[in-house]
Amino acid sequence: MNRTTARLLIIDDEPIIGKRLQQVFGKSGIETVICTDPVRAMEAMAEERFRIVITDYRMEEMNGLEVLRRVRTLNPKAKVIMITGYPSQELEEEAVQGGVFEFITKPFRMDQLKDAVSRAMEELSEEQEPSM
Amino acid sequence: MTISDPLRSLWTWLLALLPTRRPPVSPREAFERFQKVLVSNNNALEIIADLGEKLGGDYLFDIHYIERSTEQLIEAVHLSIAAVNELCNNRHLGLYKVHENLSEDLRLTLAGREDREGPQVLSFDEIRPRNWALVGGKGAHLAEMRHDPLLHVPEGFVITAKAYHDLINHNNLRDQLTEFEALMADRDADAARLEAVRLSLEQGVLAAAAPPNLTEALHKAMHALPKTEPLFLAVRSSAQEEDMDFSWAGQFLSVLNVPGQTEAVFAAVRKVMASLFSSGVVSYWRRFLPDENRMAIAVVCQRMIDSRTSGIVFSVDTMQLSHDVMVVVAAWGQGEAVVEGSTATDTFQLRKGPPVSIAAKYVAEKRQGLFRAKESGLTAQPIAEELRLQPCLSDEELLLLGKQALHLESHFKRAQDVEWAIDKAGQLFILQTRSLILTDTPAREKALPSRLKKHELISEGQGRIARQGIGAGPVHIVSNLTEEDGSFPEGSVLVVRRDSSRLVKFLHRAAAVITEIGTPVSHMSTICREFRVPCLVNVAGIISKVSEGELITVDAEDNRIYRGQIEDLLVYRAASSINIMASREFRLLRRILKKVSQLNLVDPMMQNFNIAGCRTYHDLLRFSHESAVQEMVHLGSDERQLVQGNIVRRMDLPIPTGILVIDIGGGLAPDAPPTGDIPPEAIASAPFRAILRGMLYPGVWHRDPMPVGFRDLMNSMLNANHDMAAKQYTGHNIAIIGEDYVNLCFRLGYHYNILDAHCGEAEQNNHLYYRFLGGATDMAKRSRRTAMISLILKEFEFNVQTKGDLVTARLSHIPQSEAERTLDILGRLVGFTRQLDVRMESDEIVQQYAEAFLQGHYDAVI
Repeated sequence: MNRTTARLLIIDDEPIIGKRLQQVFGKSGIETVICTDPVRAMEAMAEERFRIVITDYRMEEMNGLEVLRRVRTLNPKAKVIMITGYPSQELEEEAVQGGVFEFITKPFRMDQLKDAVSRAMEELSEEQEPSM
Repeated sequence: MTISDPLRSLWTWLLALLPTRRPPVSPREAFERFQKVLVSNNNALEIIADLGEKLGGDYLFDIHYIERSTEQLIEAVHLSIAAVNELCNNRHLGLYKVHENLSEDLRLTLAGREDREGPQVLSFDEIRPRNWALVGGKGAHLAEMRHDPLLHVPEGFVITAKAYHDLINHNNLRDQLTEFEALMADRDADAARLEAVRLSLEQGVLAAAAPPNLTEALHKAMHALPKTEPLFLAVRSSAQEEDMDFSWAGQFLSVLNVPGQTEAVFAAVRKVMASLFSSGVVSYWRRFLPDENRMAIAVVCQRMIDSRTSGIVFSVDTMQLSHDVMVVVAAWGQGEAVVEGSTATDTFQLRKGPPVSIAAKYVAEKRQGLFRAKESGLTAQPIAEELRLQPCLSDEELLLLGKQALHLESHFKRAQDVEWAIDKAGQLFILQTRSLILTDTPAREKALPSRLKKHELISEGQGRIARQGIGAGPVHIVSNLTEEDGSFPEGSVLVVRRDSSRLVKFLHRAAAVITEIGTPVSHMSTICREFRVPCLVNVAGIISKVSEGELITVDAEDNRIYRGQIEDLLVYRAASSINIMASREFRLLRRILKKVSQLNLVDPMMQNFNIAGCRTYHDLLRFSHESAVQEMVHLGSDERQLVQGNIVRRMDLPIPTGILVIDIGGGLAPDAPPTGDIPPEAIASAPFRAILRGMLYPGVWHRDPMPVGFRDLMNSMLNANHDMAAKQYTGHNIAIIGEDYVNLCFRLGYHYNILDAHCGEAEQNNHLYYRFLGGATDMAKRSRRTAMISLILKEFEFNVQTKGDLVTARLSHIPQSEAERTLDILGRLVGFTRQLDVRMESDEIVQQYAEAFLQGHYDAVI
């Protein structure tokens, strides 16, 4: 997988979370774009069509399900990883129906998220191969 | 479901009315109750461990998780208290009240209101980590340093955040403060409105009257300081977030050289408190802590040092981002001139070593300095001609300063910015220390992953992260846990086979910790988090991959261990401007854990091991566990409690022990003979089987009588009479056994053994308790045997207490296989030591016999 194409879009209205994830992925050489405002994040998405998006569920401006819907509209191949501290069966089902790549509940270990991103990258590169 | 607190209080009150003695219960019932204590204790400890693990930095979590877990914990500890009271006939009802108080405090913390309860003034020596919200970041750091014997910190006290809230309320400023907090919480708040409210609060606090009781408390605190006439104080801010994760350097006001009179000090306190609402602070606050809309301010009052020289030391060279070099900046007189950059200063570079050495001196011409004015405040004065071009620090002072800065860096696990002063008598004082936050260049940051690939990896992805962070230093393999504290070289990477809470004495000096066996939820891991020591546990085979003294770097963020000191990683550590520990979640979790997980009741032999000594939930659980174990220990020794109805059967052993067995469930194999004596193979109890295995080990049980002298004989007769009088342990040797449990009380010759053990699959439930008392000989010989047993038990990592001829040893939370191995050893020890006191002719022999036992030479006794 060409790492330069694997920029991550991270959407969380808690600034510290985005910065934290940026640090974690940055140390592994993965570039990230952080948005604390989901509305602005969707503008960035429209411009760059990120292929991997990590989003929180509970945000004031727009919830994670809406982010998922919009991201998948802008780029149907995008892999969306949703994280939440308020998990429920219904929410998970709705996210799965909406095409979420991975649904992660807080608290979670960083490795869990890193694994999810690696798998998303692998899938993307497999999906790319036939056309190459 | 949770029970409301008033109902709980009523229940406790009703319980107190009940008679405390109830009819004795059968061993089986007692064991069931004991297991209930274990289960409820473990539930609570698991929640604490789970919370603690999150603090290691390897997890992402939110406030909701903290709230939910705290409520679960409050309930779990309550259940544990109920269980221990059920087992112990309501002898520990006082635990309910402690629980109620602690729970209330936790809920206040969750609601962010814990700084509104407590004293208005606390002396440095009274401050404990749990007082953090009351005394603020600087106050907490200063108190922590005051407890460090290597440092000198001027005496002082803190006007707490409680006093600040009292002042706000007393002067009718609460409504304005509430509006201010609402504006701070709103990222798009009306700037003009925020400015107006800020200004009004600043002026309101400046003109405020003292709230009730504060003047008296202030007066009392000043009188409690050592008498240095006349007393002058340095009055500085200690906001809740100050010096913790963000430096706030120079943002708050300090008032120096304040005369030690109540009125003058209160005026200075008001000025410092008002600086919380200064425009500089508010803009810094919005920029760096946008999620924190509430912050209170405490004020530190410290004896003013009449400085000859003062300044700062950076434990890392910020200009070159070099980790090998420290920088000292100094000036004659007071340090304000240095931090404000208002005067010429000397600059020195020190190599960290070890040992610390002087790398360079840049001596400036210092024409003037700041000194204490006679009445109050500071005044600029010319420096005497002959001193202007002289370095203002001697080599000796520089080296001492370097060592102390290194010590502080090692203690706080980050590069430090330390303010210090040397008084006219030449005494070095540390005035404050805070994390040094550096910035790396983006290009360098981006190149990090590829640069790291060039270094040799010793281990990657093995083990678990118990505390995140990066640390480098020479390897120090600790193989003997009884090693003295002083022998552990500060700044080394501690490598050890198995994690143990006994490592606590070294942890604060370690740059990082690696264990071959261990878990992120162990006591040691918790302590690593408290001491901020990066820690990897369960790294298989690490001891064979590193050698003593070799430099290694531990990256407990990405779970990697590198050979050598990796400068790139150390720069990355110092330059990580975002510190996850600064997030709101981490700060709240840390506050909660400080109140929950600290263990004050460490040693059951200490005087404070009682209900009044319980200050945290962990203490409550520790007390409950110990009380429950004691209840079980005494069960076997008190035959009155062994009520009829239990089937008591004799063990059929090839050695003369006279042990009777009471099975409380699962202790005997299903195919055990239904009547008559029990052969060893019919025992199903895992711990009892292990003990018997040890007792029957070839050569352990000596049949030959020991040559007892006339004095020994007389002593044994006297002791026997005394024991008869005490009516203890007479009668049978009794083993109460269950599938995972044994309580063995027996008398062998002239000494008594009590062995109580729980040994099952759940490691956290396991404990071994061993007590050894008595003997036939004189006290000197018996004491030597005690010393020998103690030496042996310590080798097996027991926590051992000795007093005369009494040995008490405890070991808990160990895996089943290890518990069984240790019980086997205890079985051997029981046989080995049976008549050994007779042989204890000299102190030298103690070591010889201990070594013989440890090497398996059990025949040494014959």
